[in-house]
Amino acid sequence: MPSSRPTQAEPAIRIENVTKHYGSFLALRNINLSVARGEKIVVCGPSGSGKSTMIRCINRLEEHDGGRIFVLGTELNDDVGNIDEIRREVGMVFQHFNLFPHMTVLENCVLAPMLVRGISRSEAEATAKRYLEKVRIPEQASKFPGQLSGGQQQRVAIARALCMQPQIMLFDEPTSALDPEMISEVLDVMVTLASEGMTMVCVTHEMGFARRVADRVIFMDRGEIIEEAPPEEFFSAPKNERTQQFLSQVQTH
Amino acid sequence: MASIHSTSGLEGIRRRFFPTPFQSLLSLLSLALLVTIGWKLLDWAFLSAVFSAEGGPEACRAAAGACWSVIANRWRIIMFGLYPYEEQWRSALACAVVVVMVVLSCLPAFWTGKRIALVWGLGTTLFYFLLKGGVLGLNRVGEEAWGGLALTLFIFVSTCLIGFPLSIVLALLRRSQLPWISRTTGLIIDCVRSLPLVSILFAFAVVVPFMLPGWLQSDKLYRVVFGSALFFAAYQAEIIRGGLQGVPRGQEEAAMSLGIGYWHRISRILLPQAMRNALPATINQFVIAFKETSLVIVVGFFEILASGNAAYGTGQWTFAYVEVYAFIALIYFVFVFSLSRYGAFLERRMAVGER
Repeated sequence: MPSSRPTQAEPAIRIENVTKHYGSFLALRNINLSVARGEKIVVCGPSGSGKSTMIRCINRLEEHDGGRIFVLGTELNDDVGNIDEIRREVGMVFQHFNLFPHMTVLENCVLAPMLVRGISRSEAEATAKRYLEKVRIPEQASKFPGQLSGGQQQRVAIARALCMQPQIMLFDEPTSALDPEMISEVLDVMVTLASEGMTMVCVTHEMGFARRVADRVIFMDRGEIIEEAPPEEFFSAPKNERTQQFLSQVQTH
Repeated sequence: MASIHSTSGLEGIRRRFFPTPFQSLLSLLSLALLVTIGWKLLDWAFLSAVFSAEGGPEACRAAAGACWSVIANRWRIIMFGLYPYEEQWRSALACAVVVVMVVLSCLPAFWTGKRIALVWGLGTTLFYFLLKGGVLGLNRVGEEAWGGLALTLFIFVSTCLIGFPLSIVLALLRRSQLPWISRTTGLIIDCVRSLPLVSILFAFAVVVPFMLPGWLQSDKLYRVVFGSALFFAAYQAEIIRGGLQGVPRGQEEAAMSLGIGYWHRISRILLPQAMRNALPATINQFVIAFKETSLVIVVGFFEILASGNAAYGTGQWTFAYVEVYAFIALIYFVFVFSLSRYGAFLERRMAVGER
């Protein structure tokens, strides 16, 4: 019987035998994954392999229907209190940024800390300005998201998630919707974040980023984790045939 | 600079209206028609019109133009209906209160929960007690005596004040995850929308009293207002639902991932964006609601149109109905036109975040 009490030894994320169906389609098949505090995981795989579904289960944007998920020692179940507690500690960055278009960049950043953490506006703005500086766009604070480039929007989205001061960050294909020349500005921010010890789970096809940052690379296909290895091993000597095939496809492009 | 503009302007007119002899002829004929109609209208409305109230109906019969003296003589009936003559200043003041209240709540400076609640709370209370009286030494005037513009505004404002929040509730219930809630709400909305407003007003005025226990029976006016608010809400709920559907799914997901709870997701993320999508249709709905207040005529209320009928229907002024209707049309126009101009202003203002 696994304990649900947070301890130092307790991993940040523990996924046990998780399955997930969309109707009769099996999207996740018996997933097991443990992420230690401070660890950086890169998840890759062909489209439809279940990688997005898996990380969206970690903050309950998707509901798993079998197995158990523990985040920071709290179990994700139908208990709304648990879900709220976990979402406060888990930030997420989306493929399409999902900034709130009717608010300025600064408002985007202070909204959740004020509503959810209940801190004052002045404190929230100070935090927001610090993180906007960290993602290198403090001068855009009073603009609306629609006035920024894709790369800038994604950096604001990262700052917005960081303003909640989460312990874990999830990235769901953060550079897939960006023009090529803007990818590196977003990846640079993610590298900095990783170097500061943030626990990160990134779904991405940026293999260069995976080599530089990841502690482990996970390859998924058809709802299963096929291979799991440190990057140097994963890229130089992939064991599974499907991994080899996938790598040959992404790396020749 | 000016000469260049005027020549290019003249050149533009020549090219647009006089490119061929036949088209020139058509343009000239149309111009002649417009001038004739314009001149006749001007002559009727101003040059040959009777403005002074002194001469009475006889002076009007002698003149060729409009008989504005009917307005000068009877405007109090049009504006205030059957409201007691010596108390009509209260009705006028009440109308002014509503206009000030609406104008204030249209100003962005008043768009905070506290201020808007203060303006509307104070405004409606003031309006109600001015009309109804019974406090501070004001004589009590029953709802059956309310009439004219004040009644029109009362019905419109209370329809919106009850109907708009109700429409948001209906729209949210309709997108509930629980099928029995969303289906029941959908059924209610569709039923209300399937009935003509006249029949709903009639049912609330005449039929509902038979079904309600005595202590629930309020004045007919409030039942009619509720019926009209329900009708408004059924349409507006669908408009808001359409607006909500236009907000990308990722918006709610982003808010959820930040830990923002249901009510804040609705009030801070979804509704502001949905209202922006739904704004043109919403303004439309308000305009329709304003004009449909005239339907309360069928259950015996003297709102502004019915009061107008009474103003010329007393025998000596029966010939002057065109002038009375023109005057009422002008009042409707002033309200509805400002409403739609305000809608256009809102759209421009909200477009700022869209760029």
